[in-house]
Amino acid sequence: MSATTAPTRPIGAQLVRVTTPAALVILFVIFAVVSPTFRTPGNILHILVNNFSLPALVALGMTLVVSAGGIDLSVGVAADIAAMLAVTLMQNGTGLGLSLIAGIGGALLVGLLDALLITVFGISPFLATLGVLFIGESVQQLATNGGTPIYLVSNYPAAGLDFLAHGQILGLPLPLWLVAAAVVLTQLLLSGTAFGRHLRAIGAEPRVAWYSGVPVRRATWLVYLLSALLCGVAGLLLSATVKSYVPLSGNAFMLDAIGAVFVGTTISRETRPNVLGTLLGVFFFGMLHNGLLLIGWNFYWQQVAIGLLVFIVLGISFLTRRLQTTD
Amino acid sequence: MAEPALALRDLVKTFGATRALDGANLVVERGTVHGLIGQNGAGKSTIIKILGGLYKADGGTIAINGKPLAHVSPRAIEHLGVHIIHQEALLVPTFTVAEALFLGAEPGLGPLLSPRIMRKRAEEVIGRYFDVTLPRGALIGELSPAHRQIVQITRALLNRPSVLVFDEPTAALVRREANRLFGLIRRLRDEGTSIVYISHYLEEVQDLCDRVTILRNGRDVATVDPRDTPMPQIVSLMINRDIDDMFPKVPVPIGKPALTVQGLGRRGHFSDVDFTLHEGEILGLTGLVGSGAKDVLQAIFGLEPADQGSIITHGKQGAINSPASAIRRGLGLVPEDRRGQGIALDISVRENTTLASLGKLTRFGFISRRREGKAVAGLIARLGIKTPGPDARVRDLSGGNQQKVVLAKWLSADSDIYVLDEPTVAIDVAAKVEIYRLLGDLAQRGAAVLILSSDLLELQGICDRILVMYRGHVTHQLRPAETTPEAILAAATGAAAPAEKVAA
Repeated sequence: MSATTAPTRPIGAQLVRVTTPAALVILFVIFAVVSPTFRTPGNILHILVNNFSLPALVALGMTLVVSAGGIDLSVGVAADIAAMLAVTLMQNGTGLGLSLIAGIGGALLVGLLDALLITVFGISPFLATLGVLFIGESVQQLATNGGTPIYLVSNYPAAGLDFLAHGQILGLPLPLWLVAAAVVLTQLLLSGTAFGRHLRAIGAEPRVAWYSGVPVRRATWLVYLLSALLCGVAGLLLSATVKSYVPLSGNAFMLDAIGAVFVGTTISRETRPNVLGTLLGVFFFGMLHNGLLLIGWNFYWQQVAIGLLVFIVLGISFLTRRLQTTD
Repeated sequence: MAEPALALRDLVKTFGATRALDGANLVVERGTVHGLIGQNGAGKSTIIKILGGLYKADGGTIAINGKPLAHVSPRAIEHLGVHIIHQEALLVPTFTVAEALFLGAEPGLGPLLSPRIMRKRAEEVIGRYFDVTLPRGALIGELSPAHRQIVQITRALLNRPSVLVFDEPTAALVRREANRLFGLIRRLRDEGTSIVYISHYLEEVQDLCDRVTILRNGRDVATVDPRDTPMPQIVSLMINRDIDDMFPKVPVPIGKPALTVQGLGRRGHFSDVDFTLHEGEILGLTGLVGSGAKDVLQAIFGLEPADQGSIITHGKQGAINSPASAIRRGLGLVPEDRRGQGIALDISVRENTTLASLGKLTRFGFISRRREGKAVAGLIARLGIKTPGPDARVRDLSGGNQQKVVLAKWLSADSDIYVLDEPTVAIDVAAKVEIYRLLGDLAQRGAAVLILSSDLLELQGICDRILVMYRGHVTHQLRPAETTPEAILAAATGAAAPAEKVAA
């Protein structure tokens, strides 16, 4: 067993990388055949705007966090706090711009708290962000009398708000532009910069990173702040779309985002979190939500179906990775 | 004559096109310690995996106490009294010591487990073999490697084995712990247990074993009495070529001071350490565990910053309080724990190599793939790193090549002061020689090298000067030409009277 001979990769290892895209295409075709509505351009755009863009923003932040060996369970809280602050301010007559900035500020506070707990107090990312999740949910319930939604009164001068939710630039809805910007940002950070490389090194072996002079703490602060920022944007978009703030509604993002990142790792040769994979994962979930609804499955069966598909995709990936390592 | 305790004969095993074993024999007489040595890839671990029932041999026979074994499985061989202490502890990390020790054979009151009884029994059986008390209620995952190994050995001893196989048992141990293990192995042998001892460390084998089988290319090339066989002969049997010079020391003119420490100290660990390391010089540092030698290294690299004294690099003074600040001053550390601190196993050779020098390879905020690729390809060639390619995971490389990647990381960062902590631990002889050659090469190019080692032959072979620490102070400065391993050891153990004050 000399190190010079390249390890021959079993064909299965190559195949696994197409599992997710293949499943996506197959399901797309099935939905398109079964439901004529599904395949209309209008519905596809609907999926992209309503089922894809918001979870995509959250999942892109999660991609960075998972790259660094972390996990962020507080994404929903960051989105909700942003929405809560912005909607409350708007309702009290504050201008749109200031309200949105305050909302982003609220989200960043959540990220700040995550980073503080992780870097200064040395709490594991899972537990730190879980704690923030609990606190964040309680804060929202306390602030809204146990979870009463806040609706923006209909006469709020909300041209700007409408633009945020439905405005189009060059024929594409604004949320998709924001996703595009986030994609460019995360992709460049992750694969082009020293920061992205540092994240991967920290994710692989934090002590090696530190011994190599990597600013581990600074990178950790940054990554949780970035995640919170993207969540804040998603939360604001959500509240602009529904013209209200519904407490705890951001939590739906969390599981989809985590699921999307891990499903996305299956397309990478090194099974790493990556931007393209995450996008495929988010689209996979968004299409399932929409498609299953359109072919008439009830909500509860949808969840079962989604769970099973995740098992299948991750299961195939796991099995082939085992084939790879037992050579 | 009694039947041998263990007889493996004519073992053959092929993996695809590779012949891992090509008619290998290993015959272990009762009540002896039998060494098994060979370079990486010689077939040592394949033999052990066949014996353990993890691989199926393509040919050959296994007999235990004269009884041929028809079917080899982990259960079957344990039933016959053969137990293997694997290199990586196979213990559940979240179990307590007692739970791990008795897993599968829990003592208790009928079907009920009694944690109290288990804990008492555990302390009792560990105390029978080892002079240590493990932290009460500790989980396996919280134990040091040495303590984990104690649990593993005790677990095997509970079954009263007739043959005990140790696979690289000292790789994760510091010297003092290793010595304790050797004591135990001798005691077990004297009580009649037969021991198979696999190791990279020839001195250990020479010290401990009654017989040694040397493997090369899947065959046993010789079985000798290590006490009658000079080390160079064993080495040349292993690598099938004479290395007249295991330590290729090239004389290099000593240049300007590169690193000067003055009055360096860290409360409770070491104090008043003074020395100067020059360009082109290889300075050895040694001492027993607790002597402070390792702490000096950690202070110089900013891992555990010093609280007294100063560190001057290339004439510039300034505090070093983190690895990042040490790296900015031109330092590079090759740590003892390669896998936990030196390289990240799951990222590529390329990413590991440039991890400390990304700033240099970045243009307008982005890493230049072209520059990075060129730099990494150059270093792979210069250091002779055997890798399928720059994007191969470091996990897929041998220990010696992994160590070269650590060196490549500092070469890429243009480090000119190399600090090495036990750099040749757990790598095979040929790779060691290559590391020595690379260090000589570095010195020749004007780098300064500080090497902490407890391998006394190594220190004598490659260093220009050797500093010995004892109880927190530098007590001796020795010249390799004028000293012997015994003299170094005497200084390190405090058996030799210290010099008045050593300012090197």
